[in-house]
Amino acid sequence: MPQSPIDRRDFLKGSLLPAAALPILFARGVEVAGSGAGQAAPATDPPGIIDTNVHLFDWPFRTLKYRHTTDLVAKLRKHRVSQAWAGNFEAVLHKNLDVANSRLVEECRARGEGLLLPFGSVNPTWPDWEEDLRRCHEVYRMPGVRLYPNYHNYRLDAPEVVQLLRRATERGLVVQIAIELEDERVHHPIITVPPVNAAPLIDALKSVPDARVQLLNPLTAVRNSNLIRETAVVFDMSNLEGTGAIGRLIEGKHVSIRSTIPASRLLFGSHAPYAPCEAALLRLFESPLERDQLLAIVRENAGRLLPRA
Amino acid sequence: MTNWTEFAFNPADYGLPTREDLVKLRIWDIHYHGFTGSDPMGQHAETMKYVERMGIERVFSLEIAGHLDRPFVATGIEAQQQTILEKESHRVSGLVCVDPADPDRSVEKMVRWIRNGPCVGIKYAGHDRHNIRCNHPNNDPIISLAGELHALVYIHSWLKVGGDPRRPGGGNGAGEATPMDVAALAQRFPEVPLICGHSGGDWELGIRAVRPYKNVYLEFAGSDPHSGAVDLAVRELGAERIVWGGHTPSRSYATELSKVLDADLTADQRRLILGGNLRRLATPIFQKKGYKI
Repeated sequence: MPQSPIDRRDFLKGSLLPAAALPILFARGVEVAGSGAGQAAPATDPPGIIDTNVHLFDWPFRTLKYRHTTDLVAKLRKHRVSQAWAGNFEAVLHKNLDVANSRLVEECRARGEGLLLPFGSVNPTWPDWEEDLRRCHEVYRMPGVRLYPNYHNYRLDAPEVVQLLRRATERGLVVQIAIELEDERVHHPIITVPPVNAAPLIDALKSVPDARVQLLNPLTAVRNSNLIRETAVVFDMSNLEGTGAIGRLIEGKHVSIRSTIPASRLLFGSHAPYAPCEAALLRLFESPLERDQLLAIVRENAGRLLPRA
Repeated sequence: MTNWTEFAFNPADYGLPTREDLVKLRIWDIHYHGFTGSDPMGQHAETMKYVERMGIERVFSLEIAGHLDRPFVATGIEAQQQTILEKESHRVSGLVCVDPADPDRSVEKMVRWIRNGPCVGIKYAGHDRHNIRCNHPNNDPIISLAGELHALVYIHSWLKVGGDPRRPGGGNGAGEATPMDVAALAQRFPEVPLICGHSGGDWELGIRAVRPYKNVYLEFAGSDPHSGAVDLAVRELGAERIVWGGHTPSRSYATELSKVLDADLTADQRRLILGGNLRRLATPIFQKKGYKI
């Protein structure tokens, strides 16, 4: 198939990260996507991908094929993922989130091969959640936290959510919110967990306008065009479904979603190991996207979201 | 980018098959919803651009001569669809939707569009109009005729969790088959191949439900992609009992191809699942109609 060459300018554009974030990442042994750990890469190297939606270990309701971190890292590398933002599936149902967060950061350090960036979890409706947040930031040196409001049984109009957004923003942390980890039609019958209603974020973010928020598995949320228009939240693309979905969403021509999402608001996310990495990757190729759009989605937008020092 | 077969990045650099690789796999898509929406002909034309881009060799449209929700109501595009099925028989095939609540009209439709027309199979839709599912005795004349014509039989099946107490399938529409309903039908017609659509919705349970019935084939389209699903199906059913669907345009080729690419398969198994098995099932009726295999 005819290929458009990747020139050096594109490659360097794709390597841009907030300058202040670089020392932190290198101090943690995390390879910045496509940078070859600080060495200049050949101009012909295809850009590496920043995967913003990965979890470690097993989904609580199924043994996963890539549950072992070493296998997952090898799989991600096979698909040219050079940095992955990783949560811990144990945080979905466990109460003692600090244990889950501690295990996550240790696993990333021990078996992440410099590729995994840990995102801990906090439940703002549980006692002393501020201490969990402090440890994520100060002890575990995480760049952000991942919330599971539907599995943790609170809504985004809960007053604690604004408090968490404010505290996280004061610490320079990214806040990821998982909207729909699993299609509710195939849930285990013992649980009732509908997708998170993201609409209250519109008001919540008026109180914390500097918050950096990413919605994961956001299919139901992106149907709300007001959320896109009135906030600066960004979206992972893991479950943005429909033929040619990414290109059509950018053009405002999706087959069933009326919203328009600029390419600058879309970040690569695979939802691995629950979902095959190939699903999100193929979405990039199914749409006839331009090189600049692809670079924005696979790395530049994620680079902008990384925390300030 | 205006050239639909050009790619700004090379898929091979990302551990994916190139378009040429996909073409070589000879992919047949049993689940095509192109003729839907407010402008079905326009949507079909638009969707076929993605069919071309993703290297899909053939699609089987499920909405020929009637909508899934109104299988016996004229759509006004029947003549155009017939022309497409005749002139583009190298890449577009057709299934007609039947309804066991009205077996007489279902059989009439099959005679007109399959025996005497260009179509090659029937589709059972998932719906809530009535509670006559695919396992009801009303289906016997429909499946008997399908067997006689060697028509493909595609049955929508799901296991939506719901009801009181909550259980898989308890949230289904009244007329929406479960894979267990498909299994019941399969026992009455062991010589007729049946395609259990959507892997039963919940593949972990759907695979178990159809496992003993060798004339039931599983198709995974129309549900979220789950790593490991096709691996389990191959272990429990064998690669010879899986067919592939794209469910475009409401789903994506990205999602549906990923389910197979995620699985640890031999090259032969991959070819069987993505097209070989469907070609084998379709061979008798394709040969009779003079269609290219």
